[in-house]
Amino acid sequence: MKDVRDASFVAQSSNGQLVRRPLSPHLGIYRLQLSMVLSGAYRMSGLACSLGTLLLVWWLVAAASGPKAFATVQYWVGNPIGLLVLFGWTLALVYHTVAGLRHLAWDAGYGFSKPVFNRNGIIIVVATVVLTLIIYGIGLSLWAGGASAATGG
Amino acid sequence: MVEFALPKNSKVGKGRIFKAPAGSKKTKEFKVYRWSPDDGNNPVIDTYELDLTRVGPMVLDALIYIKNEVDQTLTFRRSCREGICGSCAMNIDGVNTLACLKPIEEVKKAVAIYPLPHMPVVKDLIPDLTAAYAQLRSIEPWLKSDTNPPPDAERRQSMEERSKLDGMWECILCFCCTTSCPSYWWNGDKYLGPATLLAAYRWIADSRDEYTGERLDALEDPLKLYACRTIMNCTQSCPKGLNPAEAIGKIKQLQLERKG
Repeated sequence: MKDVRDASFVAQSSNGQLVRRPLSPHLGIYRLQLSMVLSGAYRMSGLACSLGTLLLVWWLVAAASGPKAFATVQYWVGNPIGLLVLFGWTLALVYHTVAGLRHLAWDAGYGFSKPVFNRNGIIIVVATVVLTLIIYGIGLSLWAGGASAATGG
Repeated sequence: MVEFALPKNSKVGKGRIFKAPAGSKKTKEFKVYRWSPDDGNNPVIDTYELDLTRVGPMVLDALIYIKNEVDQTLTFRRSCREGICGSCAMNIDGVNTLACLKPIEEVKKAVAIYPLPHMPVVKDLIPDLTAAYAQLRSIEPWLKSDTNPPPDAERRQSMEERSKLDGMWECILCFCCTTSCPSYWWNGDKYLGPATLLAAYRWIADSRDEYTGERLDALEDPLKLYACRTIMNCTQSCPKGLNPAEAIGKIKQLQLERKG
């Protein structure tokens, strides 16, 4: 659909010639502030979560299909690159949850003052990192424990 | 629509450099966006090196100095020089603010000065705000009432009712907030933007106004109101320290309460 703002880009030069006005710079010159970055990250993490869910579906379908299919998925997910993807997915999921709580607070009418949301921004970043590391601490230790139990018996 | 790159005719090139006169004691660079409808060229950044000992404390003082002493062709809006008219709204050091309220000292390196973001440029630092003003007009920012005022008195408000307008009547309509908002950049043809929504809430919250329901009806729209994603650039940038994001949040809450 046509953007109605287009009309305001048509202007005249001093001698009456029609000229097209430039669009003033925006994203490229605006100072990145934490609040703005976290808002963008909220969207990106939402997208990452959706893609991660596809991974989960693949894994579940493989588990239902049989041991061979499951082993294939385990191979892809279990190698360093796969683990990195899983880690990114967890990070996105945790961030989306924590930042989602802040959005819930905003929707309920809380946390709009500048010092408050600037401070909360730092808190949700720290909380995301800490929670993700805790999840991976527990997950990896269980994995290692399971692996040693399987081999060491 | 989200668009990261500027259109071809809007890409910014390198401009001229105006050196400070020899013997200047304390120099600082001002990098200023320039575009004229008369030369058929793309916008450029001109660099002005000023001797700060000869310039007043605010960025507006520097712009006036450039216009008076260095380059008369520089074009910008200004009037009151004390943060009440809203004319000199521009993007300074990456954030929208009023040039008259922005101390030069607050900017560490060269002072980058652009017109308000994502707007059609009339010339140099002057954006075309026609569309934004039309949006403000659309919310009918005046008292609407079917009841006549008392014949010999004003419409009365309690202290409490009056205090609900604090933080909103102070808006000077400089549109720093509106043009700082990425949602407005991408959907500004439909989304009303923070300044207009703050003005809308100012009348919704007014105890004397009898059209609250109609005002809320007019805003109940996926883009007019709900294109706000609480990015918070508006509140971060407001040179008057107001909170448009909160006003928008309150409108959203009222919409929810009405639905029960």
